[in-house]
Amino acid sequence: MASTNRTQPRSFGGMISRLLHKDSSLGYILLSPAFIFLAVMMAYPFFYAVWLSFTDKQIGAEANFIGLLNYTKLLGTNLFSKTVTNSLVYTTFALIFKFVGGLGLALMLNRPFIGQRVVRALLLLPWIMPTVFSTMIWSWLFHPTFSILNDILVVKLGLLAEPIPFLRDETWAMASLIFVNVWRGVPFFGITFLAAIQSVSPEIIEASKIDGASRWASFWRITFPMILPVVLIVMLISTISTIGDFDLPFLLTHGGPNNSTTLFALTAYMLSLQSGQIGLGAAVTLTMFPALIVLVVISLISVRRQEAQD
Amino acid sequence: MRTVKRIRRLRSVRNTILFYVALAAVVIVMLFPFYWGFVTSLKTEVDIYDFTGNFLVPKRPNLGNYATLFAEPRYFRWFWNTFYVSTVTTIISVFISVMAGFAIARLRFRGAALAGTLIFVTYLAPKGFLFVPLAQILKDWGLLGKLSSLMITYPTNLIPFCAWLLSGYFANLPYEPEECAMVDGASRIGAIVRITLPMAVPGIITAAIFSFTASWNELLYSIVFVSGDQNKMLTNGVIGAFAGGDWFSWGPLMAASTLSSLPIALLFLLFTDRFVSGITAGSTKG
Repeated sequence: MASTNRTQPRSFGGMISRLLHKDSSLGYILLSPAFIFLAVMMAYPFFYAVWLSFTDKQIGAEANFIGLLNYTKLLGTNLFSKTVTNSLVYTTFALIFKFVGGLGLALMLNRPFIGQRVVRALLLLPWIMPTVFSTMIWSWLFHPTFSILNDILVVKLGLLAEPIPFLRDETWAMASLIFVNVWRGVPFFGITFLAAIQSVSPEIIEASKIDGASRWASFWRITFPMILPVVLIVMLISTISTIGDFDLPFLLTHGGPNNSTTLFALTAYMLSLQSGQIGLGAAVTLTMFPALIVLVVISLISVRRQEAQD
Repeated sequence: MRTVKRIRRLRSVRNTILFYVALAAVVIVMLFPFYWGFVTSLKTEVDIYDFTGNFLVPKRPNLGNYATLFAEPRYFRWFWNTFYVSTVTTIISVFISVMAGFAIARLRFRGAALAGTLIFVTYLAPKGFLFVPLAQILKDWGLLGKLSSLMITYPTNLIPFCAWLLSGYFANLPYEPEECAMVDGASRIGAIVRITLPMAVPGIITAAIFSFTASWNELLYSIVFVSGDQNKMLTNGVIGAFAGGDWFSWGPLMAASTLSSLPIALLFLLFTDRFVSGITAGSTKG
């Protein structure tokens, strides 16, 4: 390689073509657009947010440095403590149900049946279809007086005496929010788990069955440990996006009733854009940061481990 | 012996029936919302609130709600904006990600592994994390309120995902064809563009449909960064027009939801396998 390079004329064109030829230079050239983009649109905003969170910046006003005042102010508010507990409840329950539902769905689809391809595609729709529009349909399904779900449960089937106050009661509102999150997320979990299960070699499972293990035992002792790395990564990625969720609480409940369903992004939106307290809003988003860092580090370790296995 | 066999067969028939019943139940729960939204969109203003009799089909099916939508010139404007922004965003994101994904997967240079890690970390950053400072930055640059604010912010969340997905794709392609082309006298870039890129087309299509779908679906940035009716996207436009505060216009809202989701449904119908491979690659890489 080096000898062919030397025979090229030492012109500008030759230099360019050499740069585009060698791995070392070509690597940086190809990566630079992505990294310039991410530096300007992600790293810079991050530090900008840190600075904003130390100021009393309001819409249309000058920013003055106020130290940690925004953070100490937040810790004293009911809105912020509710945001933290809501996020904890929302993320924990959504993840548990998505895990259980996803595993159930994967095991269901792993068995051969008539129309498998069509059913698999149809079951992906809640994940594929635009969330904003499917959530608008859910808010119609949860209508305070004309909910078809209540009509089916109370009038048509007679299973309940009273209609469910889906979005009007604090506990029910959170439960409804979690339900829609799970409804949308289960197909993603199911399809990823299914792909992982199908990549486990059938011989190993057959061997365990010949050894007398029941289907149940062979799943938990053989298959599940082998798909565990994928399960972990999916759970971590989903945890992060669930904590940072804006769309569902904004569209279904606007954080209500009585701030019982607001999450970090929505609280930051309400404070910074609706009441104009930009510094305080930036501080709210940054309080997510410690949790995010921990989750990102765990994700990195589990991805590394999986790559080492492959 | 015979009875044991018969019991076994009966049991397996029972299990099969139970399986199909459970499957049907799951399909119904997962798809009922879409059906209900569509049925509602075909009902008259009065029938929307009437659940008596056979509530699963509209009593007087009509396209009145769609007519309301089409009488709203802004709706077409938002449809066009969404299509335009999603297309531009997809081109930018895929172009930058192909380069980055290729470099991370196939080139040996100092920092390649670190670059891969950084891409993964940025992929994990949730969208709700940086919109407050981004709004200020866009304002400083004079872009706040304009559609171009979305075209430069959407790729931020898409480039990490696409680069990650594509690096997994590139890593699994053979090296020999590219080396052969270079032995035959092609330049490095020529060999990459003419030999390796065509082999990566399925991965590139996957990255493109994911970028397009995500842009079509975006809500937070479009609410915060653009203003004025002529600059809205379908998401914030439809919500603002038919779901404003306490007042919901359910018929037109369901018609708009159905119609606005249609392009994505169509894309999914055409590229089901690409969607599935993208979903699984998102978590397992490759």
